[in-house]
Amino acid sequence: MKPFRIFAAAALAASSLWTTTPAYSQDGAKTQQALAQGSVIEAIKQRGALKVGLSTFVPWAMRDKEGELIGFEVDVATKLAEDMEVDIEFVPTAWDGIIPALLAGKFDVIIGGMTITPVRNLTVNFTDAYANSSVGAVANIELAEGLAWPDGYNDSDVTIACRRGSTPCAWLKKTFPKAVLRQFDDDGQVSQEVMNGNAHMMLASQPKPAFDVYENPDLLFSPTDEKIDPGNEGFAVRKGDPDALNFFNNWILVNRSSGWLEERHEYWFGGRPWADQVPG
Amino acid sequence: MYPDPDRPRRAGVIDLLVLCVLLGLGWLVWTRVSGVLAYRWDWAFLPQVLVTRSEAGGWRPNLLLEGLLTTLRLSLWAMLFASIIGVGLGVLATRVRLFARLLAFGYVGLVRNVPPLVFIFVFYFFISSQLIPALGIDTWARELGEGGQRVFGWLLGPPVLIENLLSGVICLALFEAAYIGEVVRAGITSVPADQTEAGKSVGLRPVQVLRLIVAPQALRAVAPPLANQFILLVKNSSIVSLISVQELTFIGTEVSVSTDRRFETWIVVAGMYLVICYALAFAFGAMERRSRRAYAR
Repeated sequence: MKPFRIFAAAALAASSLWTTTPAYSQDGAKTQQALAQGSVIEAIKQRGALKVGLSTFVPWAMRDKEGELIGFEVDVATKLAEDMEVDIEFVPTAWDGIIPALLAGKFDVIIGGMTITPVRNLTVNFTDAYANSSVGAVANIELAEGLAWPDGYNDSDVTIACRRGSTPCAWLKKTFPKAVLRQFDDDGQVSQEVMNGNAHMMLASQPKPAFDVYENPDLLFSPTDEKIDPGNEGFAVRKGDPDALNFFNNWILVNRSSGWLEERHEYWFGGRPWADQVPG
Repeated sequence: MYPDPDRPRRAGVIDLLVLCVLLGLGWLVWTRVSGVLAYRWDWAFLPQVLVTRSEAGGWRPNLLLEGLLTTLRLSLWAMLFASIIGVGLGVLATRVRLFARLLAFGYVGLVRNVPPLVFIFVFYFFISSQLIPALGIDTWARELGEGGQRVFGWLLGPPVLIENLLSGVICLALFEAAYIGEVVRAGITSVPADQTEAGKSVGLRPVQVLRLIVAPQALRAVAPPLANQFILLVKNSSIVSLISVQELTFIGTEVSVSTDRRFETWIVVAGMYLVICYALAFAFGAMERRSRRAYAR
């Protein structure tokens, strides 16, 4: 009986050895498969539609006379969906809640002119930059005519306006710690505050500041020509999705090399050939 | 000595004086505002954001009117669900059983004492994002036939936005239900206890007492505060713009940013809310007068 027992134990040990070794790599393959299956790219293909979160922001995304969305962002997202051979669905979202909405799965990706910042990057993943922006300053002639840039604005008597949660706001806090900061929900309210003379200066992403000065030369001026706080805009996706990141990155690479991204950017930001599409 | 109560009411000197003072104040405010406000008024964009040409060659509602329709759909569905839940809560709160009362008071106490904004954010990001996709309404709506799509469109708007609207409706309904529950509870308690006792003594079952004796009297008592709550609901529906439900206030933001015509847009949006709420107040007033006449007869 004894030798049989020993033989059985040895066989058992051998068989367990034999099964465990490949089991590891099988687990690895399963993880890999689960990761690929769980990618948002698969979900998009299955649904047959790409859901894009964005926020109204001239000229990134805005409404035309038919009530449809137009803008740089809209062109980018539409071409992306075309290249993926799926439909496009836009989910207009309030800027304040756009990252929580992405995390809650209300859409697949934010293509919303979102500037890549380390703080945001802790919560979401960013693709490579598909656009480069800069910030422009606009000041009220009556209030800020004599103020020197930038030191004259770092004063507790100076009021500065910006859009809540935007990158210019963070830059202002850092650069003009002494000034009073007023934050609003959209850029329209921000420039109105400066025009009314309730704030000395405002900061917003170009080209809105340039347009504001162009339209109100008797009220507003640009205190500086320097490029303030240049930013890089990327798509934002949920964390833990390497496939989506790779796909979007390479889509951006391809469309940057072909010159398509630059051409579209020039169309929307270079001037206002699109002005007659917007109601007004 | 006392003025004759039956004398014809005419505008007197004092009325004229008050009117003049009010007009003067209005003029003063306006001149002050236009002195401070550096703004070029331009209403030319307005017709374009209200209606646009449809593919068929006719007219179809554009952004602002679509937003108005969404607000109406949102408010009506929320009113319906809030009333159902609210009546349930009100009835539970007047039961003798401790558990029923605890349930109702717990819910009302929690929801009524939390700021609406916080409630909406918590609900939207934690509860509705789990609940609504699980219902599968999105896929169901996309697969409806042509006729189904049309009926659906009238009742619930475009299928693509159904999850969006639904989170708004549920959110608003759950929030308003707490207030309606309190109104209903007060209405039921306002019916004297002897009425209930009399009902029981003639052998009615508890449900019959509620349905035949308490409910008709309570309904008359709660109609005015309920009307008030419905009007508040329509105005409160603007809060769900923060969770990006595409209703009037959200669309108003989009239009004002896109066209750069902020004050004009917001004045029109405010006017639209005024019209809905005034119409509601008028309708409820008419209903109340009718029921009072019917009762008096």
